[in-house]
Amino acid sequence: MRRRVAPLPPADSPPVSNTRLAMIVLITGESMLFAGLIGMYLVFRLAARTWPPPDQPRLPLGLTALNSAALLGSAFPLASALAAIRRGEGDRVARRVELTALLGALFLAVQGAEWARLVRHGLTLGSGTYGGSFYVLIGCHALHVLAAVVWLAVVAILARLGRFTRARHAALEMCSLYWYFVCGLWVVLFPLVYLY
Amino acid sequence: MVDTKCTRFTLALVAGWPAAQALAQSCAMCGSSFGPDDPVQRAFSWSILFLMAAPYTLFGTVAGWLFYVHRRAAGRRRAAVVELTWSRRQAPAGETGGQPT
Repeated sequence: MRRRVAPLPPADSPPVSNTRLAMIVLITGESMLFAGLIGMYLVFRLAARTWPPPDQPRLPLGLTALNSAALLGSAFPLASALAAIRRGEGDRVARRVELTALLGALFLAVQGAEWARLVRHGLTLGSGTYGGSFYVLIGCHALHVLAAVVWLAVVAILARLGRFTRARHAALEMCSLYWYFVCGLWVVLFPLVYLY
Repeated sequence: MVDTKCTRFTLALVAGWPAAQALAQSCAMCGSSFGPDDPVQRAFSWSILFLMAAPYTLFGTVAGWLFYVHRRAAGRRRAAVVELTWSRRQAPAGETGGQPT
């Protein structure tokens, strides 16, 4: 009887690739940046007797919840693209990455519209600790989403050009890791800033 | 005869003891600026606690994951070698069934 034996990995190949390790180091550093910002927000939030201050506008909860669903939902097409390239179906990758980038851009557009409305109602960066901490924390996250959307767009172009194969798709994998980080961060930030 | 060095040291300890206690209470900001139930003091406490826990949690998680991945890879490599030798031993004569496919 012929037994199937898994191919032996080369002895010199590390279990975690250098690109993945670099990405983990980057994400850990970014997490510490956000830990500092969350610490700043906690000081202002817990020290205030009333939050938000009575003279400041309330944050739009319903629209942001829908926007959060769009951002978190965008992780699924990306996971599906990654699974497709691992199966060797390279032709299905580009459209799924484009869908993820589109949902990310939609998240940013809605956030921008919300901010414009809040600024019109008087909540600015200089209007106190409430506005300052909100714009710094959520703005820093939005900048990260913007960077990730640009990265996704580049990956989508590369996928359209057929640059990814089953054996070589490190750029897609690293981009996915970063996008999961950005989505995971929002899972922490949304309840902290909008619900707490 | 009285050991003057020892006496001086003891006197310095006695003189410094209240100061050391005052230092151990807290920093000047938290200890004297706010009352016992002040929300600012509570906010600083929670924030310090969070910022202290964050790096340990992050680096602990990453280090744990790396340790797990390395252990799993080593285990798989050992298992593959054992499987290879076992299947070679079991292959009947004249067949190439023992080779990995």
